[in-house]
Parts: sequence; structure tokens; C-alpha cells
Amino acid sequence: MSGQSMSVGPGRMGAILLVAPALLMIGFLFVYPFGYSVVSAFTDNGEGSWHIANFTKAIEFYSKDILFTIVIVSLSTVVIGVLAVAIAGYLTLGENPTAVAVLKWLYRWPLFIPFIVSAQLMRTFLAKNGMMNNILTSSGIIEPLAAQSYLDWRGIVITFVWKQTPFVALLVAGAMASIDRTTIDAGRIFGASRLRILIELVVPQIATTLMVGLILSYVVMLSVLSVPLMINAQSPTMLTVDMAWRINSYGDYGVANALGIMSYLFTGVVAWFYLRQSLKDKGA
Amino acid sequence: MLWLLKGGQVSGMVGVGIEIEKLCVGYDKTSVLHDIDLEINSSEFVALLGSSGCGKTTLLKSLSGFIKPMSGQIRVNGNDVAQLPPEQRNMAMVFQSYALWPHMTVRQNMGYGLKLRGMSKEQINRKVDELLTLLGLADFGDRKVPNLSGGQRQRVALGRALAVDSPILLLDEPLSNLDARIRLSMRHEIRSLQQRMGLTAVHVTHDREEAMVMADRIVILNGGHVAQVGTPLEVYEQPKSNFVATFMGAENEIALNVERANGTLSIARQEAVKAASLSVSNEIGDGGVNWQASAAGSVRGRFRSSAAHLRADEAVPEGHLALAGRVTQLSYPGGVFRYEIESAGQLYMIDDPCRYAVGDVVTICVPAGGLHLYSEAA
Repeated sequence: MSGQSMSVGPGRMGAILLVAPALLMIGFLFVYPFGYSVVSAFTDNGEGSWHIANFTKAIEFYSKDILFTIVIVSLSTVVIGVLAVAIAGYLTLGENPTAVAVLKWLYRWPLFIPFIVSAQLMRTFLAKNGMMNNILTSSGIIEPLAAQSYLDWRGIVITFVWKQTPFVALLVAGAMASIDRTTIDAGRIFGASRLRILIELVVPQIATTLMVGLILSYVVMLSVLSVPLMINAQSPTMLTVDMAWRINSYGDYGVANALGIMSYLFTGVVAWFYLRQSLKDKGA
Repeated sequence: MLWLLKGGQVSGMVGVGIEIEKLCVGYDKTSVLHDIDLEINSSEFVALLGSSGCGKTTLLKSLSGFIKPMSGQIRVNGNDVAQLPPEQRNMAMVFQSYALWPHMTVRQNMGYGLKLRGMSKEQINRKVDELLTLLGLADFGDRKVPNLSGGQRQRVALGRALAVDSPILLLDEPLSNLDARIRLSMRHEIRSLQQRMGLTAVHVTHDREEAMVMADRIVILNGGHVAQVGTPLEVYEQPKSNFVATFMGAENEIALNVERANGTLSIARQEAVKAASLSVSNEIGDGGVNWQASAAGSVRGRFRSSAAHLRADEAVPEGHLALAGRVTQLSYPGGVFRYEIESAGQLYMIDDPCRYAVGDVVTICVPAGGLHLYSEAA
């Protein structure tokens, strides 16, 4: 690089000033708290020597919850993926204009409802005497005695799926709408059914968008506190509840931060898979 | 290309006839095709030719099933398929954008239709290998589509369509995205394959020359109607209407006053037009005027720039229409000079190998065989 291009001219200074507020915000609101929580997880609230006692304690107390969290979030992610592809697929390939218009209008609603409201809504819907069982018993599908509460792990999965599917479907439908329509027509003229076109021709073309949507949902679900707190008030529960409990009841930031770092690791693993796949696709 | 003529292993097949009867097609409430009647013979190559918006792509989409007609029939081998979806019509198609699946390799693209037909992996591989060799893509089988050139993609699209052994091949402007040199060779490759395999082919194009060199018959569409159907020679030499004549390159227009008697036309002298006596054509190639006007009197004449020539003197050869004019512009597109001639306030484009300068006084000579006459209202 020449000396001239290294110099800090007025243009370069302007650029730095322009991005400085954003950089400072990221520094103060993300990098500093993140760094502090990492340090706190490996020390006694940021003081004393480095150790892994907080992690040992977290695993000893909450190993079941760690597994529960991974299973719930992974299962929800898979179901969200399937439903989002089905919704976006119908919006793209559906031939009944009325059905497509109704679905397009309906599917986005949960996007505008906060998690805490979704959880409250599901409490009234999934409880033993909730709206769902009332409908099922009054329509004769199940006996009143057979009614059971879904306010457990199933309730969390249902809430996550209900809340996050529209988000992924929105991204995926947009991606599907932007692919070359003749690639779908080509599948049809060669004799492919709608389902085969969706699975074999359309989804592979929007796989990157689907992956991004699912990873974002996965991260969001890992960080939600209100849903497991309101729907599944029992053990095992999700890590966010444990973290809130350690801080609110014990003021134990060390273990809470250790659990937080584990959440980062779960996200990191998924992000690593995604990046590896992206690089592979670019290299192909 | 040689490899096309060597007689590879691709199994021959026979195309089927298509009959289109009273076909009306539209989008929402707008009618695009009006009462189309057309018969396409088995193993025939038909080109749908017309300017943008004439309905040629709509007609192809109706044939393929992507648009359902408002009324009318499309019979394939006698069976009406007008209301069937594309997947049930057993047709193959090459799309303008090629429509290759970017996540698949060349081999997977070409074999997909065979997979849908339940063929075993060995059978698919054998068939795809044959086509790869036939299309000169033997070294590209495992390559992904985005890593191919335009010409290679076009061949993959063609191979994918040929692989499924469909008797009908639909071609939606498949050469329009290729550069000029490759386009010329691909015309002949597609035509050779179609003849060798005996397929019935319907080709949409707006390129007149492409339609002329590839098709057995050309269907010229105008505003959703069939303007003329005929062999390339027929539509070129005997355009039935003023529109077809213009579309087939007879851009020069002249108003004439004619009398007709005993197969001879007498052209009345006008401001720049000399009186002449011309024979009327009875069949293509006899050197007579293409007479399509309903009655004598005021008619509209059309001729191509290449059909006429210029003379520096006023001596007009026998059987020619002559117009006095002056050179106003010249250019050299290659082979001949192209002149813009002003005659009685009207401009004409004339190709001539001799060199004239701007301002030269010349005589435009149009042979009877190059002149097409239509009623004023046509």
C-alpha cells in the first residue's frame, strides 16, 4: 500500500466519524457486557483467580435443563422449517388464488405478537380446561376425561413454532418468489408433482435463506425467557429460566454467565455449520 | 456439425400431430389469441413468428399447458389436451432462460425427467451419457450449471428436453440469449436433431431468418390472429398481406395506380414513377408480381431493399417498375452499399453493389418478381 493511501485524509476522517456512533453502541452495549460476562463466568464475579468452578456447578445442577433446552429448541427448529417450507411452498405453487390470498393474509399475524403475549395466549389455549380441549370435547373428538394439559415441553414447542414459523415463512416465501419461475415450469413439463417440485427443485434453490431463517429462530428461541417461565413451570426447564433464577434468587452471576456462555456455544455450533456450508456452496 | 451426422445411439422416435381449433386465450379479461386454427403435422418443425405482443409465446404456453385456454381445442394425436396440466401432456420444452436447476450438475439436470419416469440409475446414466456425447458435453457431466457458458447451458437444456423421448418439442426463443456466432451453429444443430429424431417441434421466435432456416412451415401471428401460414419460400415470396410483407422485410412502400388485363398489370405514370407493364405471378419463382389486391385502381406496393437495384441512366429493363430519385444517404453494411433514395417526397432503402455518391440522380428498378401489391385498406 502506498503512503498516500495510508494517510488519514478528511474523507477518511468523515467515514470514521460516520461509523463511530454505531461502533460505540456495539462496544458499550454488546462487546463490553459480553466480555464482562465471559470474565465473570471464569472468575468470582470478575475478581480473584481464573477457574471453571461456575461451569462445574452449572453442569452439576442443570445438565438435564441443558439437554432439555437443546432438544426443545432443535425440535422446534425442525418443525418450524417444515411448516415454513409448506406455507411458502403453497404460496409459490398453489393454484387456488383464494386459498393463496387467505393464507398470505393469515400466516403473518403471529409476527406482530410478542413472545410474552403468545405465552399467555397459549396458556389459555393449551391448559387442561383450555380452549383447545373445550373444542375437542364439545365436538366429540375426545372424551372429557381424556383431556390433558399441554402446558409442558409440548406447550413450549407449540408456542415457539406458532411464533417463529411466520418469520421463517416470510423469508422463505420471499426467496421462493425471487427464483426463476421457469425452473418450476420446467419441473412441471417434465412431469414432476407439486411436492417433488417443492422438495427437489425449489427448496434446494432457497436453502441458504431457509438456513438463515432457522438459525435466527434458533438463536431467538434460545434466549426467550417468558415462554418456558409461563408455560412450563416445572423441572426440567430451559436455561433462560435457570439463569434468571441464579441471578434473582442468589445473585449468582458466575453460574448464570456460565450458562449464558453455554448458550453462546450452542449458537456457535449452528453458526459454524452454516458458515462451513456457505463456503462449500461458494467454492462449488 | 459432424457428430450430429454420424448416427449416434439415441433412439429414434416419431412425433405426433397437433391440431388447434378455434383457440381463444386471454389473461384475466384481456383476450390475447382469437380463434386460432392451426394444424401441425407429425415430425414437422413449425416456427411461430411475430413481433412482441403478437401472442406467439401465449400460444406456446397454451400448447404446453401453462395457460388454460378460454375456449377451443388442442388435440394431440386426436385427444383434446387443452384443459390438462403441463405434467400430463408428455411434451418437452426448452425455455428462453434455459430454466436449468442451478443446484444440480449437468448430468442431474439431463437425467431428472428420466428419474421422474421411474428409470433405473443405470438406464439414466446410459441415456445421459449418450446425450452428453451427442451434444458435445461429454467432459461437462459433473459440472454445476452456473459454471457453464451460455452455449453449453443451451445444449444442456436441449439435452434435458431430448432425454425424456417426448414426441413434441417446444422451443421458447431458445437462441435469443446466445451470441450471434453460436446462434448460427445452434440453429443447424437443433434442426438436425429434430429431423433425425423425427420430433414434432414448435419454435417461438421473433427472428425472421431463424424461422426461415429452421422451420418446415412458418406461422406468422399479428395481434392474436394467424396472419399467414406457409413454407419459408411461400411467406417470403408471396406474403398474403401488407403486414406479412412488411414483417418479411418488404419495408419500401409505394402507392400505385394499376390496371389489370389478361394476367398483365399496367402501371400508370405518376410524378416519379414511369409507366410499365408487368406480368402477374401464377406460381412462386415465375418472376411475376405478387398480386394480393382485391381490385385494380389505387393499390399499395411493397418491395425489399435487396430486390431492387439502381441505375445511373434512365434506361429501364423490361418487366421492371422504375422510380426516379436522388441519393440522400449511404452506408456499407457489408457486401453491398445501402442507399437511402428520395423519390417524389418518399424515402426508399435500396441495396446495390455499385458505388454512388450522395446527391447522385438515379433510377430505382424493381423487378416484377420483387413487387407485392395489396389493396389500400389491407
